[in-house]
Amino acid sequence: MTVARVRLRVNGHAVERTVAARRSLADLLREDLGLTGTHVGCEHGVCGACTVLVDGRTARACLLLAVQLEGAEVTTVEGLTPPEGLSVLQESFRECHALQCGFCTPGMLATAHELLAENAAPTRDEIRAAIAGNLCMCTGYVNIVRAIELAARRLAR
Amino acid sequence: MTGWVGRPLARKEDARLLAGRGRYLDDVCRPGQLHAAMLRSPHAHARIAGLDAREVAAIPGVHAVLTGADAAALSHPIRPLIPTAVPLDDWCLAVDRVRYAGEPVAAVAAVDRATAEDALETIRVEYEPLPAVVDPEAALRPDSPLLYPALGTNVLWHDVLAYGDVAGAFARADGVLRERFEIQRYASTPLETFGAIAEYDAGLDAYTFWTNDQRPGLTLAILADSLGVPQSRLRLITPDIGGAFGNKRRPAYLLVCALLARRAGRPVKYVEDRLENLGALMHACNGVMDVELAYRSDGTMLGLRVRDVADEGKNLISPTQHNLIKLGNIVNGYRIGAVSYEAYSVLTTKCPSGANRGIGKPFMCFAVERAVALLARRLRLDPAELRLRNYVAREEMPYTTPPGAQYDSGDYAATLRRALERFDYRGWRERQAHARAEGRLLGIGIATSVEPAGTNLASYELITGRRAASGSAEAAMVRLEPDGRVRAALGDPACGQGYETVVAQIVADELGLTPADVHVERGFDSATTPWLYLSGNYSNKFSVTDVGAVVGAARAVRDKLLRIAAHRLEAAVDDLELAEGQARVRGVPGRGLPLRELARTAYADVLGLPPGEPPGLEARHAHQNPLAQPLGADRTVRSQLVFSNAAHCCLVEIDRLTGMVRILRHVVVHDCGRELNPLIVEGMVHGSTVHGLGAALLEEFRYDANGQLLTSTFMDYLKPTAADVPDIEVDRLEHPSPFTPLGAKGVGEGGSIPAPAAVASAVEDALAELDVTVRSLPITPERVWRWLRGR
Repeated sequence: MTVARVRLRVNGHAVERTVAARRSLADLLREDLGLTGTHVGCEHGVCGACTVLVDGRTARACLLLAVQLEGAEVTTVEGLTPPEGLSVLQESFRECHALQCGFCTPGMLATAHELLAENAAPTRDEIRAAIAGNLCMCTGYVNIVRAIELAARRLAR
Repeated sequence: MTGWVGRPLARKEDARLLAGRGRYLDDVCRPGQLHAAMLRSPHAHARIAGLDAREVAAIPGVHAVLTGADAAALSHPIRPLIPTAVPLDDWCLAVDRVRYAGEPVAAVAAVDRATAEDALETIRVEYEPLPAVVDPEAALRPDSPLLYPALGTNVLWHDVLAYGDVAGAFARADGVLRERFEIQRYASTPLETFGAIAEYDAGLDAYTFWTNDQRPGLTLAILADSLGVPQSRLRLITPDIGGAFGNKRRPAYLLVCALLARRAGRPVKYVEDRLENLGALMHACNGVMDVELAYRSDGTMLGLRVRDVADEGKNLISPTQHNLIKLGNIVNGYRIGAVSYEAYSVLTTKCPSGANRGIGKPFMCFAVERAVALLARRLRLDPAELRLRNYVAREEMPYTTPPGAQYDSGDYAATLRRALERFDYRGWRERQAHARAEGRLLGIGIATSVEPAGTNLASYELITGRRAASGSAEAAMVRLEPDGRVRAALGDPACGQGYETVVAQIVADELGLTPADVHVERGFDSATTPWLYLSGNYSNKFSVTDVGAVVGAARAVRDKLLRIAAHRLEAAVDDLELAEGQARVRGVPGRGLPLRELARTAYADVLGLPPGEPPGLEARHAHQNPLAQPLGADRTVRSQLVFSNAAHCCLVEIDRLTGMVRILRHVVVHDCGRELNPLIVEGMVHGSTVHGLGAALLEEFRYDANGQLLTSTFMDYLKPTAADVPDIEVDRLEHPSPFTPLGAKGVGEGGSIPAPAAVASAVEDALAELDVTVRSLPITPERVWRWLRGR
């Protein structure tokens, strides 16, 4: 089995591991680093549950091989969470009841984070378009859209 | 008392879920844990002539292998919820025959999933293909290939149930509307797939399971039977569950893990991949329904005849469920006095059917609401007006339908009127006329529904002829800990419904505390949670049974606290109240004791208890909903117990070029009785409605004639995305149920039941110029495009 050494930063920490070439970034995060906040929902890049930030841009952790991440900066939901309490975005999700089972939530937060970094005041349609690559089976998206709107307003203050 | 119940409280569980600190099944790791993979049949129907798994054991990293023959030697057949007429042996792996593409025939446990999957490739299976049977109507025919030759037929149930003077109703009618409707296979597809970990303790001959199974009571019974061990030596624990919607249960997979764990001497984890989930876990039945609706020319609906063919796939655990549940909403909200229901439950060589948000009711509602819409067209009546002429009136509640369902409360006409008002129905009819004049295809659809909650298992006596289980019940525990804080647990494992919050609200009210003082266990643990065979997360039952269990347990603790406080304060129990964390004498400031002090008495200073009072402050309570009854002598059946209701108004626009249907607005007015937490209720309505919209426009498990699933990934089995659906607009009425402890009713399934019918009517209305009749779903752009071009 082909293995390779990979060095990257995850949530600000240097990580160096020898991994099998076939292991995905999701495998690395969840199994090797114990960062189980990244969820795997379809393993074919459609559902968006495993969405993380790679060098600030969203990426599917199920579609990237761990060895591709040499030199990258990866941020997961654990890295988006402040040491105490919740971020403005997370708190908006909580207040708007933008999650039910919570399985899509980490990926949804990563996508919303990217959106708000690029567009401080997105319209509802822009929000819907931005999160269209993240499936949620519970909420019907209504409250997720509301939460992202609320977070945008709060972050603008 | 201004209570916590009824407040739109943000959820307690969210802080951990938002921080990525939830603990779902695949996050649970046991020391030495192996990973299982399953070899699945590529054929829809075949005899297994040979299976050679001898090479597997030699592969580095492989620790155990299990074949169908092994399963038959090491375990007993799986006990069904609803037994078939002739007992059929069905093990956790296929033994001599496969009956759907994707049925597991062998399993391997290895150091990781990839090694296990690689090892499967060395297993040689010799299949002798048999003809597939995909169409349920074809499966009914005597010359059809049989899934179980021992049964002599594919039909698991056929019966005609008649209630009221059906012949008379049709004889008196001015007309009869006859239509055939079809429903496709679809599923709610929770984002987390199904899975389990099994750990075997050889010293105790005991098994522990971690699983996201949503119905642990039934599963534990099956595990004990199949493994041949006492239930006392089984422990089942549910972690956070990433959605379920009825789909999440497959005791067979737990058995595979258990047998592999026993062989390997190490814990074994199995988690479905999405292909396995979509192709082999659970689909809602597809089916065909012939509807005859007898009416008078003024629109009064007199009688209903239904012939219903439910395609079970290879479902031996809970066949007939989709049929029988339809008796709960067969007349929907209408005063139809005579009903005949002919049911077929039929096996085909497809994925097992099973519970899916609403079980059968979305199809029943689709058929009746489509019939009503078509009748309105025929009689040139406004579809809203036709409904208003036929509703069961508020004054008639509780109202018993011909098949025996009891509508407990509600004002169906008021629900629809509120929806029309919120939607601005009159205004949109005018705007629609203008849009049509401009050549735009704008359509308005209405659908209304009853939403039953709680299942009465006694109803299955109609099919099996004997009563194995009955009623609707759940169990709960409330314990005031020695520090004065509360721990509660429920036999119903939450799958996203926010029980940690709602149960805390309920208990806080009963004990005069705040929800922050009440910790609700995240899941189910059969070793510590009180539970029943009936325990689980299904059938919209939280408000019907679970609330009663929680309230009962909390009140037992409250009563005991008051007795201890009365003794300590030398006051009468009747003069005391629990409030602000104290037991205190009403109207006498300063005369009270904190709960912490009473807990000290109950747990530590037990000589301070009233004479005869046992120590401790823990209560377990099981609540049985009083509405459940045995089967009636006249075959009337109360298959479900408490009824919410809803009205949906949908506005669509169709793109003439592409056939794309765009939902511009979707208004829901619903009435689920007293809302325990309106924030959570509204979220359920949004989500449930979008499940219905997905079924209406996108989702279909499509099989080819050989029984191969063509839509087996999320690339071709399409779920609604945020860009596909509008903001669901929600309003509510609140008619509490007199038959639940806090007046609450079911809410989880409501949106999914009428939404497909509302969309179908809106599309039909948009295409009025073409005189199209929508008889099936999903309404894909291709179908609309063909209608638009007359093809």
